[in-house]
Amino acid sequence: MTVYLSLSGVLFLIGLHGFFTARNLLRRLLALNVLTTAVFLLFVVMARLAEPLDPVPHAIVLTGIVVTVSTTAVALALLVRIAGRPRDEDDDAVAGPRGDAG
Amino acid sequence: MGVAGVIFDGLLALALVWLAWQATRAADLFHAVVSFIVFGLLMALAWVRLEAPDIALAEAAIGAGATGALLLSALDRLASRDGRHRMLYEPATAWGFWIPAGGALLGGLNLAAWKLPAPGLGEEVLASLKLSGVDHPVTAVLLNFRALDTLLEIGVLLLAAVTIWSLGRAPSPLVPAMPSPALPALGRLLFPVFVLVAAYLLWRGSHAPGGAFPAGAVLGAGAILMLLAGARPWIRSSEHGPWRWILSLGLAMLLAAGVTGSLFGGAFFEYPTGIAGPTILVLEVAAGLSIALLLFALYLRGEPCEHGYRGAGT
Amino acid sequence: MIPETTGPVVLFSLPLAAAVVVFIRPRWSVAVTLASGGILLATALWVVVAVLRRGPWRQDIGGWTAPLGIGWTVDGLSAALLLLMAAVGLAGAVFHAARPTGRTPVRDPRFFWPLWLFLWGGLNALFLAADLFNVYVALEFVSIASVGLIGLAGGSAQAAAWRYLLATLLGSTIYLLGVALLYGRYAALDLALLADGVEPDLVTAVAAALMTLGLLLKAAVFPLHFWLPAAHGRAPPAVSAVLSAVVIAAAYYLLVRLWFGPFAPLLGPEVATLLGLLGAAAVLWGGLQALLQRHLKMLIAYSTVSQLGYGLLVFPLAAAGAVQQAWTGAVMLVMAHGLAKAALFLAAGAIVLRHGIGRLEALGGDQQGVVVAWVAFAIASASLVGLPPTGGFVGKWWLAQATLATGGYFWLAVLMLGTAFTAGYLWRALQAAMRPGWETSGGLQALSPALGLSALVLALGAALLGLAAPIAARLLDAGSGVAG
Repeated sequence: MTVYLSLSGVLFLIGLHGFFTARNLLRRLLALNVLTTAVFLLFVVMARLAEPLDPVPHAIVLTGIVVTVSTTAVALALLVRIAGRPRDEDDDAVAGPRGDAG
Repeated sequence: MGVAGVIFDGLLALALVWLAWQATRAADLFHAVVSFIVFGLLMALAWVRLEAPDIALAEAAIGAGATGALLLSALDRLASRDGRHRMLYEPATAWGFWIPAGGALLGGLNLAAWKLPAPGLGEEVLASLKLSGVDHPVTAVLLNFRALDTLLEIGVLLLAAVTIWSLGRAPSPLVPAMPSPALPALGRLLFPVFVLVAAYLLWRGSHAPGGAFPAGAVLGAGAILMLLAGARPWIRSSEHGPWRWILSLGLAMLLAAGVTGSLFGGAFFEYPTGIAGPTILVLEVAAGLSIALLLFALYLRGEPCEHGYRGAGT
Repeated sequence: MIPETTGPVVLFSLPLAAAVVVFIRPRWSVAVTLASGGILLATALWVVVAVLRRGPWRQDIGGWTAPLGIGWTVDGLSAALLLLMAAVGLAGAVFHAARPTGRTPVRDPRFFWPLWLFLWGGLNALFLAADLFNVYVALEFVSIASVGLIGLAGGSAQAAAWRYLLATLLGSTIYLLGVALLYGRYAALDLALLADGVEPDLVTAVAAALMTLGLLLKAAVFPLHFWLPAAHGRAPPAVSAVLSAVVIAAAYYLLVRLWFGPFAPLLGPEVATLLGLLGAAAVLWGGLQALLQRHLKMLIAYSTVSQLGYGLLVFPLAAAGAVQQAWTGAVMLVMAHGLAKAALFLAAGAIVLRHGIGRLEALGGDQQGVVVAWVAFAIASASLVGLPPTGGFVGKWWLAQATLATGGYFWLAVLMLGTAFTAGYLWRALQAAMRPGWETSGGLQALSPALGLSALVLALGAALLGLAAPIAARLLDAGSGVAG
């Protein structure tokens, strides 16, 4: 189990590093998914360590996997829509005649 | 576990670390996405090694399969939008910060995790399993003890589909150019197999690993394959068609099951005594079908329209 | 007699069921949303009255008790936030239904309603949940619904929605890691169960740090606020209102729940001071930024960063001994901020529609059609600044009493300085109405009076909260985890 416990830690670190250093938006999303997998791994390792085998973390991770695919799908759909559009940091430029989109 | 087991675990862990690194750092985005998909598949192996077959099934079908399909099709759209994605090499930055900070974080986390007594709830689950109406502990947790989580989770899927539809219409054409001319025929041939596997998993779920989640995921993956094989996207956003009903079926059924419990004087989600088993089976079928269709709806990346392409959402 | 336990069932199920209905039948959207909104507001009031009468309660889901099952907690704090959500949810729905169609920033009006109801349902689920993993799923639910609603404004709002999504997902993942550690340590996810069993050891401390960090990111606490102004400033008005008023308060609610529940033994002076300093920095930085903004909605958005900082002052004051006063004061401030901020965003939405532009210099001149909106803006501003007898005044008064009782004069100075900033930037906004303004072509003369009225009702709510202070104090004392 030590192997998987360390694996969880290393994956968490890779995910965190990727999230903060990647400049490409898709890659940041992948890093976030790696990060989530690391957390799921920790849950399942704990289920395995328990005596007898604990099914609750398994159910939690199943729920988590479905939630993660939902958030990833939303993020990807959003990413496809915003890609190629110039970055707009200046509030004046985007507010335009409509005024803050509101 | 034996020496062979330890060596296998070690190699698997190394491979996973390498793939995760590739997924977040590879110079080529396509390479990164493929690394991530293989990472998901190998994670399924890791779940098996950790005695979590349910998660292995779900990870293979959802984590690698559905997410992989979503990533690849998004990549396709991004690439057709601009050809720049190949030159987005990520330079390694700020090692002076990341190595010490990462080492400290890793050490702290592992130190904390090592001290975990991990008491677990295995005993409690086994003690209540008889009352839950099913024999497989994970299904009992998902659809009885923690049914509220499952309700919200199906809600998250439906909400994600609505959110994606709200962003605009589905792109046209829906399917990128076929990578292989054999795929359409293969897809049509395989679809019945997907349906059979899904039905089997669903039935198995009451007493062994399986159940609504893997079944729904397998069925959804089959539907995506059919789409790739050139089948017409038969989900319509029209108010009049049955599709919105079917997409909402899982959430509606779970809500109804919850409210029925309180209507008859029990707690929210308290199943009537004696028929917990059949109730859970019905809920599983509804949830499985919803998961399959919603995964498919997520894949469409936009609101499917009635009469072909009616203006892009962007 | 219907038992009180029906209340939470309605608050949880009705928004989700209504969301499904309006998704299937978009034509019924407005009617279904307003009808269920009315029922939800009535139910939330009923739950508040029930908590006042019989005290807090807990109900188990599916008849399974913790640790195996999930529970709902209904106490003064959750009842108050459920009521806040119902008020803002209904007012926002009225505003959105009354908006002039045709030139609104909402791309696809059909999808506003299911997303709005889903957000409502997710937040209600969050306020009821007593289980750490259930909270995680509810948080993700709220995040996706918020992203969808922000994205409805299209254009640059979608880029803001992306940044918000990434920040909030990172926050939930870090939170979940903490939950995993706690589960491995105690094999429990239930808040009450954890509160009984927690020991101040290393694992718990690491878990507490991770969960707090994740939630601080979601609450946009300085310096993790980078995503907030763009997301809140560019969303459609009703969406900005609910995001600033309730979604941010939800993350704060969880912080309070955790630190005055399971993590109470860990709340030493160092941790508390650190959280308090973050709050102080948020108050000052957010206030300064709000002063520098040139757009009405961005000014209000930065004000959220600033106002939430007050909420964090509860930690140092409670650690110094004034638990009860600091706690009621901070929660009262967050409630009053919720009502006032929603009123400000709705009023600003109407004003920007009237003038066709959001720049402060342009908002003067002829105010025909938005006089009520400016009145609402002024009343909400009074509460935000803390003029008596508003809810904002009562909250600040209680917090100030807590600082005096504990000798925390530094925190008192932060409170005063923050108030000065608040008065400064809100005065700038109000002054804009008096100036000549610009001749713009994009403005609309004929706005539905419901736009201004929905803002006015919320603003009056924030003001009346001050008169209802004794009731609010009793409510917040009810099973707050500190009164116990």
